[in-house]
Order: sequence, then structure tokens, then C-alpha cells
Amino acid sequence: MAPKLSSDLLRGHTDTIVLGVLMNADRYGLEIYNRILARTGEQYEMKADTLYSSYKRLERDGCVTSYWGDETQGARRKYYRITDRGRELYRQNLLDWEFTLKILDNLLKEEKR
Amino acid sequence: MNTHEYIDSLFADYQETSALADFKEELKGFLDERIKNLVKGGMDENNAFERATGELGDISAVAEEISRKKKQEVLGEMYLKTRHYMTTRRTALYVLCGAALGFGVIVAAVSGFFSGDANAPLGSLLIFGGIPILGFLFLWLTQETAVREAMGLRRALLYVAAGGVFLFGVFTFLFTYFEDGSGLPYAVATLIPFVLPSSAFGAFLLLTEKDRSKPWVARQREEHIKRSSGRFGDPAQEERFGLFSGALWITAIAAFILLTILFGVKFSWLALAAALVGQMLVTAAFTKSE
Repeated sequence: MAPKLSSDLLRGHTDTIVLGVLMNADRYGLEIYNRILARTGEQYEMKADTLYSSYKRLERDGCVTSYWGDETQGARRKYYRITDRGRELYRQNLLDWEFTLKILDNLLKEEKR
Repeated sequence: MNTHEYIDSLFADYQETSALADFKEELKGFLDERIKNLVKGGMDENNAFERATGELGDISAVAEEISRKKKQEVLGEMYLKTRHYMTTRRTALYVLCGAALGFGVIVAAVSGFFSGDANAPLGSLLIFGGIPILGFLFLWLTQETAVREAMGLRRALLYVAAGGVFLFGVFTFLFTYFEDGSGLPYAVATLIPFVLPSSAFGAFLLLTEKDRSKPWVARQREEHIKRSSGRFGDPAQEERFGLFSGALWITAIAAFILLTILFGVKFSWLALAAALVGQMLVTAAFTKSE
């Protein structure tokens, strides 16, 4: 059987994923959405509600700030920018994850006799 | 349905704060552009709309973070729906009581001007003020509204009786004090046969009163209690808040009475104003800061 993506596991890392997308550039809501979709190889569509509650949470905690872009045509876009605090959180979360992954990998293997 | 209407319908239950309006605009941009992309990818417009709105998930939950559930709805229901409970006869009685009260006030004012003493206005107020006030009391108690059930006629009449005797007692007090000029001690003595027993009876009625709130009001109240306990943090804190407020008001009322006797109402009301300010400060001090 083909392997499946664990969406629960993914959802637990929404904030880190969003911060990761913002590390190199300010981006707007749909852009973040599309980049995540593309990077999972269209395997997993993270719902907009999960993303937007993540944006709002990160903004409230001071990890990102937002501003309206000055598009002259079409709908206005709201851009998100990562703050120093957000970068710090991202690095910490990444370290935590690498550490967890090592342990988890170990735990999930069949135990030797 | 266009995206604008769709988003409005999603958040219809939430109070329109500026944060929510901002979020709605952001979301509209998201939807519009997502639909455009899907259409560009070869999907027809209706399918693209379905797909894009489906991708939103439970987006209205995000609003929980930035806006509160509407309160106007509840208030609107409270006041508008009262109309359903008003019969023509009751409406006529309300208006009649209002007119009688107005008449009483005018007659009292006019007779006060012409006679120059307190007797005539008090007399006309006793009849044309007292009766409509009791009428209002009766109508109000027996009025079913959106928030509470009506009281039984017999019980409402007992309240009216207590209220009537009480009012009569108050007027007797005023008559004795102002008109007969027999001094405060005599005036106070008139409180014994009327005001005292009617207050006691009224207190008895109030204490034996049952809760006539409609079920949804009771639910609302529970929510409120939950919210306010969140605001005060722990129960001990809330108890201290109660004690402080109680002490404050007892002092204020005592000061009010004392100042009234010593300097008259012209200055004594300041005690109540001061207490109000004090209450605000106490509330501010006890409210849990974020």
C-alpha cells in the first residue's frame, strides 16, 4: 500500500511551517498557502482555517507582523513579515524537531532481542 | 453568491469589529485570487468557487480570536420581542397610567406654584402619582417578556398592596414633616404603621420569589458567571472584591444620611458620587490584568 501523509502530525507544526516560509521574504496569505501546497507535492492541502489561525496566533505572540500591500489592481493583499522573535522561535522549533525525530526514529524501530 | 456575500454570511454571528472587517477583507482577497488561479488552471467558475470555499475549512472559528459573538442579537431579541407579548388592552393601560402620571405631575407643579406650599402638590401626587405608579408596577409584574415569565395576578396584587401602603407611608411622612411642621421625630414615628410593615411584607415577597427567567436567560447568566470568574481569577479574590464593595457602599449610605441631616441634600449626594468613583477604582484594582 502506498504511504500516506500524517496530516495530524503536520498540523502540529503549522506555526513552524509558516515561519519557515516567511524566513526569506514577506509573503501574503494565499502565497504561503500555495508554497506549502507546492512543497508537499500537492499531497496535502492544509486548510485555510488552520493557516489563518496560525497567522493570527503568531501575530498576537509577536512572531510576525502584518501590513497591507499597495496593489493598484485587484484585491488588496495582506503581507506577513517575520520578526526576530519569530526567527528565534523557528530555530528553536527546528532544533526541538530534529531532536524529537532522532528519538522517535529510535522508538519506532523494531526492538533488538 | 459572490465571495463578498459568502464571507459576510460566514461571519454573520460575529460582532463587526475593525479587526474582523480587516480579516474579512484579507479573506476575500484570498478567495478571489484562489478562484482566479483555479479558473486559470481550467476549472469552471462554479466548481472553482466550491473548491475554494471548501478549502477554507472552519474559517469562522478564526473569528473567535478576533471578535466576540454578537450581543446585539440577544438585546434585539429582548426588546423587539416584547412587542409579541403586548396586547392592545395592556398597551392601552400602560398609556393610561403614563397619562395619569403626567397629569399628576403637571397638577402638582401648577398647584405648587399657585399655593406656594407643599401640601397641594403632595396631595395631587398622592392620587395621580401613586395610582399610576402602582398601575405600572402591576402591569410590569404581570408582563411576560422575552426574558421572563409573567407573575401570577394574585401575587402581583400582593406586591401592589405592599407598594401602595409603602407609598402612602412615604406621603404621610412627608405631610407630617412639611405640612404639619411637627418635626422630624413625629414624622419618623409615622414610618411605624405604614412604611415598616409594608417594607417587611415586600421583603418577604421578594425573598420568597422564584426565578421567572426564561431558559435562555438562565443560560446566558451562567455564561456570564463563568466569564466573570475568569475576570477575577480566584474565588478568594472575588470575595474580597465583594467585601470591599459592600464596605464602600455601607459607608457611603451612612455618610449620605448623616450629611443629609447635617447639611441637606445639596451636599450629601456627593457621598454617593464618591462611592461610585470608589466602586470603579475597586473594580479596576480587582480586575485581572492581562
